[in-house]
Amino acid sequence: MTTARRHAMLPRPTHDERVRQAFVRSFRRHLASRVMPGNYPIYAARVEPRFRAETGRSPQAPAELRAAMERDPYYQFWSAMLRRSQELMWESVIDPAERDREALIRRARSSPKGRGKRKGSLVLDPSLPTPRYHAAADIHLQPGGYHTDFGPDDITAGAVYDSGLHLYLDGAFGVENDAMGDILLAFYRHRFPGLKPARILDMGCAIGNSTLPWGRAFPRAELHAIDVGAPVLRYGHARAEALGVPVHFSQQNAEATNFKAGSFDLIVSHIMLHETSKSALSNILRECRRLLKPGGIMLHLEIPRGTTPLEKFMYNWESYNNNETFAQFLTDADLAAIAARSGFAPDAVEMVGFAPREAGAQTLYSPKFIWTVLVGRP
Amino acid sequence: MTDAPTRAKGPLPQYFDDPAIDQLHSALLALAAELSVAYDRIDTLERMLERKGTLSRAEIDRFEPDEPALQERAARREALVARLLRPFRDYREHLIERAKK
Repeated sequence: MTTARRHAMLPRPTHDERVRQAFVRSFRRHLASRVMPGNYPIYAARVEPRFRAETGRSPQAPAELRAAMERDPYYQFWSAMLRRSQELMWESVIDPAERDREALIRRARSSPKGRGKRKGSLVLDPSLPTPRYHAAADIHLQPGGYHTDFGPDDITAGAVYDSGLHLYLDGAFGVENDAMGDILLAFYRHRFPGLKPARILDMGCAIGNSTLPWGRAFPRAELHAIDVGAPVLRYGHARAEALGVPVHFSQQNAEATNFKAGSFDLIVSHIMLHETSKSALSNILRECRRLLKPGGIMLHLEIPRGTTPLEKFMYNWESYNNNETFAQFLTDADLAAIAARSGFAPDAVEMVGFAPREAGAQTLYSPKFIWTVLVGRP
Repeated sequence: MTDAPTRAKGPLPQYFDDPAIDQLHSALLALAAELSVAYDRIDTLERMLERKGTLSRAEIDRFEPDEPALQERAARREALVARLLRPFRDYREHLIERAKK
Protein backbone atom coordinates (compact mmCIF):
# COMPACT_ATOMS: atom_id res chain seq x y z
CA MET A 1 0.00 0.00 0.00
CA THR A 2 1.42 3.38 -1.06
CA THR A 3 1.67 5.84 1.82
CA ALA A 4 1.61 9.58 1.19
CA ARG A 5 5.04 11.14 1.71
CA ARG A 6 4.98 13.41 4.74
CA HIS A 7 5.81 17.06 4.22
CA ALA A 8 5.44 20.16 6.38
CA MET A 9 2.01 21.16 5.00
CA LEU A 10 0.26 17.79 5.16
CA PRO A 11 -2.20 17.47 8.09
CA ARG A 12 -1.26 14.81 10.64
CA PRO A 13 -4.18 12.44 11.22
CA THR A 14 -4.64 10.68 14.55
CA HIS A 15 -4.76 6.91 14.80
CA ASP A 16 -8.52 6.70 14.20
CA GLU A 17 -8.46 9.29 11.42
CA ARG A 18 -5.66 7.39 9.70
CA VAL A 19 -7.50 4.07 9.78
CA ARG A 20 -10.75 5.79 8.72
CA GLN A 21 -8.84 6.97 5.64
CA ALA A 22 -7.48 3.45 5.18
CA PHE A 23 -11.05 2.14 5.13
CA VAL A 24 -11.96 4.60 2.37
CA ARG A 25 -9.05 3.32 0.30
CA SER A 26 -10.00 -0.31 0.81
CA PHE A 27 -13.64 0.42 0.05
CA ARG A 28 -12.87 2.33 -3.16
CA ARG A 29 -10.36 -0.28 -4.29
CA HIS A 30 -13.03 -2.93 -3.83
CA LEU A 31 -15.60 -0.88 -5.76
CA ALA A 32 -13.20 -0.28 -8.67
CA SER A 33 -11.85 -3.82 -8.94
CA ARG A 34 -14.81 -6.00 -7.89
CA VAL A 35 -18.05 -4.04 -8.27
CA MET A 36 -17.57 -1.61 -11.20
CA PRO A 37 -16.65 -4.33 -13.78
CA GLY A 38 -20.03 -6.00 -13.13
CA ASN A 39 -21.81 -3.11 -14.83
CA TYR A 40 -20.55 -4.35 -18.22
CA PRO A 41 -22.05 -7.89 -18.12
CA ILE A 42 -25.19 -6.55 -16.40
CA TYR A 43 -25.66 -4.14 -19.29
CA ALA A 44 -25.20 -6.87 -21.88
CA ALA A 45 -27.37 -9.39 -20.04
CA ARG A 46 -30.40 -7.33 -19.06
CA VAL A 47 -30.20 -3.57 -19.59
CA GLU A 48 -29.51 -3.58 -23.33
CA PRO A 49 -32.00 -6.45 -24.05
CA ARG A 50 -34.73 -4.63 -22.11
CA PHE A 51 -34.10 -1.40 -24.01
CA ARG A 52 -34.05 -3.35 -27.30
CA ALA A 53 -37.32 -5.08 -26.43
CA GLU A 54 -38.96 -1.71 -25.80
CA THR A 55 -37.51 0.27 -28.72
CA GLY A 56 -36.22 -2.24 -31.26
CA ARG A 57 -32.66 -0.90 -31.10
CA SER A 58 -29.63 -0.47 -28.82
CA PRO A 59 -29.26 2.69 -26.76
CA GLN A 60 -26.66 5.06 -28.26
CA ALA A 61 -26.54 8.44 -26.55
CA PRO A 62 -25.22 8.58 -22.97
CA ALA A 63 -28.58 10.05 -21.87
CA GLU A 64 -30.40 6.94 -23.20
CA LEU A 65 -27.98 4.64 -21.40
CA ARG A 66 -28.34 6.69 -18.27
CA ALA A 67 -32.12 6.30 -18.24
CA ALA A 68 -31.80 2.56 -18.88
CA MET A 69 -28.99 1.89 -16.38
CA GLU A 70 -30.49 3.94 -13.58
CA ARG A 71 -33.44 1.52 -13.51
CA ASP A 72 -31.10 -1.40 -12.84
CA PRO A 73 -30.54 -2.40 -9.17
CA TYR A 74 -26.92 -3.45 -9.74
CA TYR A 75 -26.00 -0.10 -11.24
CA GLN A 76 -28.01 1.68 -8.55
CA PHE A 77 -26.01 0.00 -5.79
CA TRP A 78 -22.60 0.54 -7.41
CA SER A 79 -23.42 4.17 -8.17
CA ALA A 80 -24.76 4.89 -4.68
CA MET A 81 -21.71 3.26 -3.10
CA LEU A 82 -19.26 5.19 -5.27
CA ARG A 83 -20.98 8.48 -4.42
CA ARG A 84 -20.95 7.58 -0.73
CA SER A 85 -17.27 6.59 -0.86
CA GLN A 86 -16.47 10.03 -2.27
CA GLU A 87 -18.33 11.72 0.61
CA LEU A 88 -16.64 9.47 3.18
CA MET A 89 -13.29 10.26 1.57
CA TRP A 90 -13.66 14.02 2.17
CA GLU A 91 -15.11 13.45 5.64
CA SER A 92 -12.09 11.36 6.58
CA VAL A 93 -9.60 14.10 5.65
CA ILE A 94 -11.54 17.19 6.79
CA ASP A 95 -11.21 16.46 10.53
CA PRO A 96 -7.37 16.42 10.63
CA ALA A 97 -7.20 19.41 8.24
CA GLU A 98 -9.49 21.44 10.51
CA ARG A 99 -7.52 20.56 13.63
CA ASP A 100 -4.16 21.45 12.04
CA ARG A 101 -5.51 24.48 10.19
CA GLU A 102 -4.10 27.26 12.40
CA ALA A 103 -0.64 25.67 12.51
CA LEU A 104 -0.63 25.14 8.74
CA ILE A 105 -1.75 28.74 8.12
CA ARG A 106 1.13 29.97 10.31
CA ARG A 107 3.54 27.75 8.39
CA ALA A 108 2.22 29.00 5.04
CA ARG A 109 2.49 32.64 6.17
CA SER A 110 6.17 32.15 7.00
CA SER A 111 6.97 30.52 3.64
CA PRO A 112 9.39 32.61 1.57
CA LYS A 113 7.52 35.06 -0.65
CA GLY A 114 10.40 36.77 -2.43
CA ARG A 115 11.52 36.26 -6.00
CA GLY A 116 15.00 35.13 -4.99
CA LYS A 117 17.00 32.97 -7.32
CA ARG A 118 16.05 29.60 -5.88
CA LYS A 119 12.71 30.50 -4.28
CA GLY A 120 9.23 30.49 -5.66
CA SER A 121 6.62 33.19 -5.11
CA LEU A 122 2.91 33.72 -4.49
CA VAL A 123 0.77 36.52 -5.92
CA LEU A 124 -2.93 36.55 -5.03
CA ASP A 125 -5.64 38.67 -6.63
CA PRO A 126 -8.64 39.07 -4.30
CA SER A 127 -10.50 40.94 -7.06
CA LEU A 128 -10.44 37.93 -9.41
CA PRO A 129 -14.01 36.65 -9.89
CA THR A 130 -14.57 32.94 -9.17
CA PRO A 131 -15.82 31.47 -12.46
CA ARG A 132 -19.33 30.03 -12.43
CA TYR A 133 -17.94 26.56 -13.22
CA HIS A 134 -16.34 26.61 -9.76
CA ALA A 135 -18.99 28.52 -7.83
CA ALA A 136 -22.15 26.75 -9.04
CA ALA A 137 -21.32 23.34 -7.55
CA ASP A 138 -18.38 22.09 -5.49
CA ILE A 139 -16.19 20.12 -7.93
CA HIS A 140 -15.67 16.46 -6.90
CA LEU A 141 -17.98 17.08 -3.89
CA GLN A 142 -15.13 18.66 -1.92
CA PRO A 143 -17.12 20.84 0.53
CA GLY A 144 -16.42 24.47 -0.32
CA GLY A 145 -14.68 23.49 -3.55
CA TYR A 146 -11.16 24.68 -4.32
CA HIS A 147 -11.95 28.36 -3.98
CA THR A 148 -13.64 28.97 -0.59
CA ASP A 149 -11.72 30.68 2.22
CA PHE A 150 -13.08 29.68 5.64
CA GLY A 151 -11.05 32.43 7.32
CA PRO A 152 -8.13 34.82 6.68
CA ASP A 153 -5.17 33.34 4.77
CA ASP A 154 -6.96 29.99 4.65
CA ILE A 155 -5.29 26.85 3.31
CA THR A 156 -8.00 24.30 4.25
CA ALA A 157 -9.09 23.56 0.66
CA GLY A 158 -5.48 22.73 -0.24
CA ALA A 159 -4.85 20.56 2.82
CA VAL A 160 -8.12 18.67 2.26
CA TYR A 161 -7.41 18.21 -1.45
CA ASP A 162 -3.82 16.97 -0.90
CA SER A 163 -4.99 14.42 1.68
CA GLY A 164 -8.08 13.34 -0.27
CA LEU A 165 -6.41 12.95 -3.65
CA HIS A 166 -4.16 10.28 -2.23
CA LEU A 167 -7.22 8.24 -1.20
CA TYR A 168 -9.16 8.81 -4.43
CA LEU A 169 -7.32 6.16 -6.46
CA ASP A 170 -5.84 4.18 -3.57
CA GLY A 171 -2.50 5.98 -3.80
CA ALA A 172 -2.14 5.58 -7.58
CA PHE A 173 -1.36 9.30 -7.92
CA GLY A 174 1.95 8.56 -6.19
CA VAL A 175 3.47 9.40 -2.81
CA GLU A 176 3.42 13.13 -3.68
CA ASN A 177 0.23 13.00 -5.79
CA ASP A 178 2.42 13.86 -8.77
CA ALA A 179 1.78 10.95 -11.17
CA MET A 180 -0.11 13.08 -13.69
CA GLY A 181 2.82 15.46 -13.95
CA ASP A 182 5.12 12.46 -14.41
CA ILE A 183 2.86 11.00 -17.10
CA LEU A 184 2.66 14.22 -19.12
CA LEU A 185 6.41 14.74 -18.65
CA ALA A 186 7.03 11.23 -20.01
CA PHE A 187 4.83 12.06 -23.00
CA TYR A 188 6.73 15.33 -23.59
CA ARG A 189 10.12 13.60 -23.50
CA HIS A 190 8.93 10.80 -25.74
CA ARG A 191 7.36 13.15 -28.26
CA PHE A 192 9.90 15.99 -28.14
CA PRO A 193 13.21 14.42 -27.08
CA GLY A 194 16.00 16.76 -26.02
CA LEU A 195 13.93 19.91 -25.58
CA LYS A 196 14.70 22.09 -22.53
CA PRO A 197 12.00 24.72 -21.99
CA ALA A 198 13.20 27.96 -20.38
CA ARG A 199 9.76 29.17 -19.27
CA ILE A 200 6.92 26.81 -18.33
CA LEU A 201 3.29 27.55 -17.36
CA ASP A 202 0.99 25.07 -15.58
CA MET A 203 -2.69 26.06 -15.87
CA GLY A 204 -5.29 25.07 -13.26
CA CYS A 205 -2.52 23.91 -10.95
CA ALA A 206 -4.59 23.64 -7.70
CA ILE A 207 -1.98 22.66 -5.04
CA GLY A 208 0.78 22.31 -7.65
CA ASN A 209 1.00 18.55 -7.19
CA SER A 210 1.39 18.00 -10.96
CA THR A 211 3.53 21.12 -11.31
CA LEU A 212 6.50 19.93 -9.26
CA PRO A 213 7.69 17.16 -11.63
CA TRP A 214 8.28 19.87 -14.27
CA GLY A 215 10.41 21.87 -11.83
CA ARG A 216 12.42 18.80 -10.90
CA ALA A 217 12.91 17.78 -14.55
CA PHE A 218 13.95 21.29 -15.66
CA PRO A 219 15.57 22.93 -12.62
CA ARG A 220 16.91 25.86 -14.68
CA ALA A 221 13.47 26.72 -16.10
CA GLU A 222 11.28 29.52 -14.72
CA LEU A 223 8.15 27.66 -13.67
CA HIS A 224 4.79 29.44 -13.30
CA ALA A 225 1.54 27.94 -12.04
CA ILE A 226 -1.91 29.58 -12.01
CA ASP A 227 -5.30 28.78 -10.54
CA VAL A 228 -8.46 30.69 -9.60
CA GLY A 229 -8.58 29.32 -6.03
CA ALA A 230 -6.72 31.31 -3.33
CA PRO A 231 -6.65 28.62 -0.59
CA VAL A 232 -5.18 25.97 -2.90
CA LEU A 233 -2.54 28.45 -4.12
CA ARG A 234 -1.47 29.47 -0.60
CA TYR A 235 -1.21 25.81 0.30
CA GLY A 236 0.51 24.92 -2.98
CA HIS A 237 3.13 27.63 -2.56
CA ALA A 238 4.00 26.56 1.00
CA ARG A 239 3.95 22.91 -0.12
CA ALA A 240 6.33 23.56 -3.03
CA GLU A 241 8.74 25.42 -0.73
CA ALA A 242 8.54 22.55 1.79
CA LEU A 243 9.35 20.09 -0.99
CA GLY A 244 12.15 22.32 -2.30
CA VAL A 245 10.84 23.12 -5.79
CA PRO A 246 10.69 26.85 -6.73
CA VAL A 247 7.39 27.68 -8.43
CA HIS A 248 5.85 31.11 -9.11
CA PHE A 249 2.20 30.75 -8.17
CA SER A 250 -0.34 33.41 -9.10
CA GLN A 251 -4.10 33.65 -8.80
CA GLN A 252 -5.26 33.98 -12.38
CA ASN A 253 -7.96 32.66 -14.68
CA ALA A 254 -6.41 30.70 -17.57
CA GLU A 255 -9.01 32.26 -19.90
CA ALA A 256 -7.24 35.65 -19.65
CA THR A 257 -3.90 35.94 -17.87
CA ASN A 258 -1.65 38.95 -17.31
CA PHE A 259 1.39 37.32 -18.92
CA LYS A 260 2.79 39.01 -22.02
CA ALA A 261 2.20 37.42 -25.43
CA GLY A 262 4.88 34.89 -26.33
CA SER A 263 5.90 34.27 -22.70
CA PHE A 264 6.27 30.50 -22.60
CA ASP A 265 8.13 27.65 -24.30
CA LEU A 266 5.79 25.12 -22.75
CA ILE A 267 2.21 25.34 -21.43
CA VAL A 268 0.73 22.33 -19.66
CA SER A 269 -2.43 21.39 -17.79
CA HIS A 270 -3.39 18.19 -15.98
CA ILE A 271 -7.04 17.15 -16.32
CA MET A 272 -8.20 20.76 -16.10
CA LEU A 273 -10.08 21.30 -19.37
CA HIS A 274 -13.08 19.12 -18.42
CA GLU A 275 -13.65 21.17 -15.24
CA THR A 276 -14.33 24.40 -17.18
CA SER A 277 -17.13 25.33 -19.60
CA LYS A 278 -17.74 25.53 -23.33
CA SER A 279 -16.82 29.21 -23.60
CA ALA A 280 -13.97 28.90 -21.07
CA LEU A 281 -12.44 25.97 -22.98
CA SER A 282 -12.26 28.03 -26.14
CA ASN A 283 -10.95 31.08 -24.25
CA ILE A 284 -8.23 28.99 -22.57
CA LEU A 285 -7.01 27.53 -25.87
CA ARG A 286 -6.99 31.01 -27.43
CA GLU A 287 -4.96 32.26 -24.44
CA CYS A 288 -2.50 29.37 -24.83
CA ARG A 289 -1.98 30.34 -28.46
CA ARG A 290 -1.27 33.93 -27.39
CA LEU A 291 1.15 32.93 -24.60
CA LEU A 292 3.27 30.48 -26.60
CA LYS A 293 6.64 31.59 -27.97
CA PRO A 294 7.29 30.72 -31.62
CA GLY A 295 8.22 27.02 -31.54
CA GLY A 296 6.56 26.60 -28.13
CA ILE A 297 4.41 23.62 -27.21
CA MET A 298 1.00 23.24 -25.53
CA LEU A 299 0.10 19.98 -23.78
CA HIS A 300 -3.24 19.36 -22.04
CA LEU A 301 -3.59 15.99 -20.31
CA GLU A 302 -7.18 14.75 -20.35
CA ILE A 303 -9.23 11.77 -19.22
CA PRO A 304 -10.58 9.54 -22.01
CA ARG A 305 -14.34 9.64 -22.49
CA GLY A 306 -14.85 6.08 -23.75
CA THR A 307 -15.20 4.42 -27.15
CA THR A 308 -18.36 2.27 -26.87
CA PRO A 309 -21.76 3.78 -25.90
CA LEU A 310 -21.55 2.03 -22.50
CA GLU A 311 -18.03 3.30 -21.81
CA LYS A 312 -19.06 6.83 -22.76
CA PHE A 313 -21.93 6.60 -20.30
CA MET A 314 -19.70 5.16 -17.56
CA TYR A 315 -17.13 7.96 -17.91
CA ASN A 316 -19.97 10.44 -17.49
CA TRP A 317 -20.61 9.10 -13.99
CA GLU A 318 -18.54 11.98 -12.60
CA SER A 319 -20.82 14.48 -14.35
CA TYR A 320 -24.01 12.90 -13.05
CA ASN A 321 -22.78 12.20 -9.51
CA ASN A 322 -19.55 14.05 -8.68
CA ASN A 323 -20.15 17.65 -9.81
CA GLU A 324 -18.02 17.43 -12.95
CA THR A 325 -20.77 19.35 -14.66
CA PHE A 326 -18.97 20.12 -17.91
CA ALA A 327 -17.11 16.82 -18.46
CA GLN A 328 -20.11 15.09 -20.11
CA PHE A 329 -20.11 17.66 -22.91
CA LEU A 330 -16.63 16.50 -23.94
CA THR A 331 -17.97 13.05 -24.89
CA ASP A 332 -17.23 12.74 -28.62
CA ALA A 333 -15.84 16.30 -28.62
CA ASP A 334 -12.87 16.87 -30.92
CA LEU A 335 -10.51 18.97 -28.78
CA ALA A 336 -8.20 19.48 -31.73
CA ALA A 337 -11.07 20.93 -33.78
CA ILE A 338 -12.01 23.21 -30.88
CA ALA A 339 -8.36 24.34 -30.68
CA ALA A 340 -8.42 24.98 -34.43
CA ARG A 341 -11.51 27.17 -33.96
CA SER A 342 -9.67 28.95 -31.11
CA GLY A 343 -6.71 30.31 -33.02
CA PHE A 344 -4.47 27.32 -33.74
CA ALA A 345 -3.70 26.25 -37.29
CA PRO A 346 -5.66 23.02 -37.96
CA ASP A 347 -2.46 21.10 -38.81
CA ALA A 348 -0.71 22.37 -35.63
CA VAL A 349 -3.04 20.61 -33.14
CA GLU A 350 -3.85 16.97 -32.53
CA MET A 351 -5.30 14.64 -29.92
CA VAL A 352 -3.03 11.75 -29.00
CA GLY A 353 -3.77 8.68 -26.87
CA PHE A 354 -1.05 7.84 -24.36
CA ALA A 355 -0.77 4.68 -22.24
CA PRO A 356 2.38 4.91 -20.10
CA ARG A 357 3.88 1.69 -18.81
CA GLU A 358 3.99 3.09 -15.29
CA ALA A 359 0.75 2.97 -13.30
CA GLY A 360 -1.27 6.02 -12.36
CA ALA A 361 -4.08 4.86 -14.59
CA GLN A 362 -7.56 5.02 -13.15
CA THR A 363 -9.90 2.10 -13.61
CA LEU A 364 -13.00 3.49 -11.93
CA TYR A 365 -15.17 3.31 -15.05
CA SER A 366 -13.59 0.95 -17.55
CA PRO A 367 -11.14 -1.97 -17.35
CA LYS A 368 -8.51 -0.22 -19.49
CA PHE A 369 -7.37 3.37 -19.29
CA ILE A 370 -5.60 5.47 -21.92
CA TRP A 371 -4.83 9.13 -21.32
CA THR A 372 -5.59 11.76 -23.94
CA VAL A 373 -3.17 14.59 -24.70
CA LEU A 374 -4.12 17.68 -26.70
CA VAL A 375 -0.91 18.81 -28.41
CA GLY A 376 -0.60 22.22 -30.02
CA ARG A 377 2.04 24.46 -31.53
CA PRO A 378 1.61 28.10 -32.51
CA MET B 1 -13.17 31.36 12.09
CA THR B 2 -16.15 29.38 10.86
CA ASP B 3 -16.12 25.63 10.53
CA ALA B 4 -15.76 24.22 7.06
CA PRO B 5 -19.04 22.78 5.73
CA THR B 6 -19.29 19.01 5.38
CA ARG B 7 -21.73 19.04 2.48
CA ALA B 8 -20.69 19.91 -1.06
CA LYS B 9 -22.70 22.51 -2.93
CA GLY B 10 -24.54 20.99 -5.86
CA PRO B 11 -27.30 18.51 -6.71
CA LEU B 12 -28.08 15.53 -4.47
CA PRO B 13 -28.70 12.53 -6.73
CA GLN B 14 -31.26 9.87 -5.80
CA TYR B 15 -30.13 6.32 -6.54
CA PHE B 16 -32.98 4.11 -5.36
CA ASP B 17 -36.71 4.25 -6.03
CA ASP B 18 -37.38 5.24 -2.43
CA PRO B 19 -35.17 8.05 -1.03
CA ALA B 20 -35.33 6.35 2.37
CA ILE B 21 -33.21 3.54 0.92
CA ASP B 22 -30.61 6.12 -0.13
CA GLN B 23 -30.41 7.36 3.45
CA LEU B 24 -30.23 3.86 4.92
CA HIS B 25 -27.61 2.80 2.42
CA SER B 26 -25.44 5.83 3.19
CA ALA B 27 -25.76 5.28 6.92
CA LEU B 28 -24.86 1.63 6.53
CA LEU B 29 -21.63 2.50 4.74
CA ALA B 30 -20.70 5.09 7.37
CA LEU B 31 -21.33 2.41 9.97
CA ALA B 32 -19.06 0.00 8.11
CA ALA B 33 -16.33 2.66 8.09
CA GLU B 34 -16.65 3.27 11.82
CA LEU B 35 -16.68 -0.45 12.55
CA SER B 36 -13.47 -0.77 10.58
CA VAL B 37 -11.94 2.12 12.56
CA ALA B 38 -12.92 0.44 15.84
CA TYR B 39 -11.45 -2.91 14.78
CA ASP B 40 -8.17 -1.26 13.85
CA ARG B 41 -8.06 0.63 17.14
CA ILE B 42 -8.63 -2.57 19.10
CA ASP B 43 -5.99 -4.31 17.06
CA THR B 44 -3.51 -1.51 17.82
CA LEU B 45 -4.30 -1.68 21.53
CA GLU B 46 -4.00 -5.42 21.83
CA ARG B 47 -0.71 -5.50 19.93
CA MET B 48 0.77 -2.73 22.06
CA LEU B 49 -0.38 -4.35 25.30
CA GLU B 50 0.98 -7.67 24.18
CA ARG B 51 4.29 -6.10 23.20
CA LYS B 52 4.64 -4.48 26.61
CA GLY B 53 3.43 -7.61 28.43
CA THR B 54 1.15 -5.57 30.68
CA LEU B 55 -2.25 -7.19 30.27
CA SER B 56 -4.05 -10.45 29.66
CA ARG B 57 -7.32 -10.76 27.77
CA ALA B 58 -9.07 -11.93 30.94
CA GLU B 59 -8.26 -8.58 32.56
CA ILE B 60 -9.84 -6.76 29.60
CA ASP B 61 -13.00 -8.82 30.02
CA ARG B 62 -13.21 -7.87 33.71
CA PHE B 63 -12.63 -4.13 33.14
CA GLU B 64 -15.18 -1.60 34.50
CA PRO B 65 -14.75 2.06 33.39
CA ASP B 66 -14.68 4.94 35.91
CA GLU B 67 -16.70 8.14 35.55
CA PRO B 68 -14.29 10.15 33.30
CA ALA B 69 -13.94 7.12 31.04
CA LEU B 70 -17.72 6.77 30.87
CA GLN B 71 -18.02 10.43 29.87
CA GLU B 72 -15.37 10.12 27.16
CA ARG B 73 -17.15 7.08 25.80
CA ALA B 74 -20.47 8.93 25.76
CA ALA B 75 -18.92 11.80 23.79
CA ARG B 76 -17.41 9.38 21.32
CA ARG B 77 -20.72 7.59 20.84
CA GLU B 78 -22.39 10.93 20.23
CA ALA B 79 -19.85 11.73 17.50
CA LEU B 80 -20.46 8.29 16.01
CA VAL B 81 -24.21 8.87 15.87
CA ALA B 82 -23.69 12.29 14.24
CA ARG B 83 -21.45 10.72 11.60
CA LEU B 84 -23.91 7.89 11.08
CA LEU B 85 -26.91 10.18 10.68
CA ARG B 86 -25.16 12.68 8.43
CA PRO B 87 -27.05 11.54 5.29
CA PHE B 88 -30.37 12.27 6.99
CA ARG B 89 -29.15 15.75 7.94
CA ASP B 90 -27.90 16.35 4.38
CA TYR B 91 -31.24 15.23 2.95
CA ARG B 92 -33.14 17.51 5.32
CA GLU B 93 -30.92 20.47 4.33
CA HIS B 94 -31.42 19.59 0.67
CA LEU B 95 -35.22 19.60 1.14
CA ILE B 96 -35.07 22.93 2.95
CA GLU B 97 -32.91 24.48 0.20
CA ARG B 98 -35.27 23.16 -2.46
CA ALA B 99 -38.28 24.55 -0.60
CA LYS B 100 -36.63 28.01 -0.56
CA LYS B 101 -36.23 28.06 -4.36
